[in-house]
Formats: sequence, structure tokens, C-alpha cells
Amino acid sequence: MFALLEDAGFNRVRSTVVPGFAFRKESTRDAAEAYGVKAVLFTAQKPAR
Amino acid sequence: MTESVVLPAEQQAPLEGVITGEVVRMYQEVAEHPEGEFHFYHGRQAAELFGYERDWLDRAPPGAVASFAGVGNPHLRSRIQPGETVLDLGSGAGLDGIIAAWQVGPLGRVIGLDLNPTMCRKAEAHAAASGVRIACHEGRMEDIPLPDGSGRVSITDIVSAKQLSQSIVNDPKLWAS
Repeated sequence: MFALLEDAGFNRVRSTVVPGFAFRKESTRDAAEAYGVKAVLFTAQKPAR
Repeated sequence: MTESVVLPAEQQAPLEGVITGEVVRMYQEVAEHPEGEFHFYHGRQAAELFGYERDWLDRAPPGAVASFAGVGNPHLRSRIQPGETVLDLGSGAGLDGIIAAWQVGPLGRVIGLDLNPTMCRKAEAHAAASGVRIACHEGRMEDIPLPDGSGRVSITDIVSAKQLSQSIVNDPKLWAS
């Protein structure tokens, strides 16, 4: 995601793990926890040319 | 969803096509039948879970809230300023774009990007119903439609800390979740 945004001309790419994210379905939630799955929020800015 | 398994090129392209199709199908379902059950939270329940202000959810069109399928709240950190251009990658039914449009005001603009044309049209309609404008482009994140000028972008992704098994990597339904 960092490379994708930077290749598109964005900089100041920031990421943060979303607190409280979870899947609704229990089996999916359990599998996601086993694999360390997180939701990550990315923000970036594209400067004026 | 991000993972570290690299498939051979001859397997990668067909799999990407299948995954894209499944993602479009899944969010078409959320757009058209938000009353349905999905294995991710959606709608107002999801938005409240991620800390969206209740005032925003009360003020936005019910359809934009009902079809919300995000996995985080970009507004907690985005610090959007009046007059800015905001690009929402994976803009869905438009809730985040509408909230952004309220913040940028009449001198700013909001551009949406979504794989699903139905979601794009819904986002534009929901924005219009809110008295703001979102210009939504159907497309992929690899082709971001902001060729000139400045802007802010937000996207929420699902990532895994461990290498996923091949059965997971090859399951389009899991990618669509």
C-alpha cells in the first residue's frame, strides 16, 4: 500500500492499526485472530505541484 | 487483504480476476441488500463500532449509513481542512465521502474511487441527497484518478501478520471480506 500510494505521487503516507476491528462471524473472527489479521488505516497527502 | 505468498505469474492474473469479481459481487450485495447478514460488520452498527459521530450518522442519508462497509474511521486522523481535495479509495456507498465533503466545504472537492459501479452511483446519489457532491470513478487503486493538483487520500486495508495458507490465498470469498 505504501508503494502504491507513493508511486501515485502521494507522500506522508501514514498507517495505524484500527482499534476494535473484528469480523462479525465468529468462525471468521477466530481464523483472523489466529493469523494476526488487523485492519490498518492509511492516509497520505499529495502535494500541490 | 495483504499476504506474503507470491504465486507464479501464470496463476496470478486469473486469480486476481476472480478475486476482483468476488469483491465486486460482495459489495454489490451490501449496496443492494444492506439488510442482509455478512461476516463483517456493516451499516450503522459498524460505523458506531469504529467511533463515527452519531450526529454524522443521523445527518447522512440512511442508505449511505445502511450500506457502509468500512473497517475503520479515517476521520479520527485525517484533519481535513476547508478547500482541500479528498480522494476516498474504496468509497463504497459514500458515507466517508459525504463526511469529508462537509469538512472541505464548497471550495473543496471529494473524489471517490470504487471497483463497483453500483456503489459509485449510490455514493453520488447519497451525496446529492446530502447537498454535497462526490465525483465517483469506477476503477482500481492502481489507477488513482488524481493526475493534477494536491489532495488527501484515505484507505483502510486488512493485513495479516502471518503467512497465509494457500487455501486462504486462493479463496476469493475471503479476499472479498
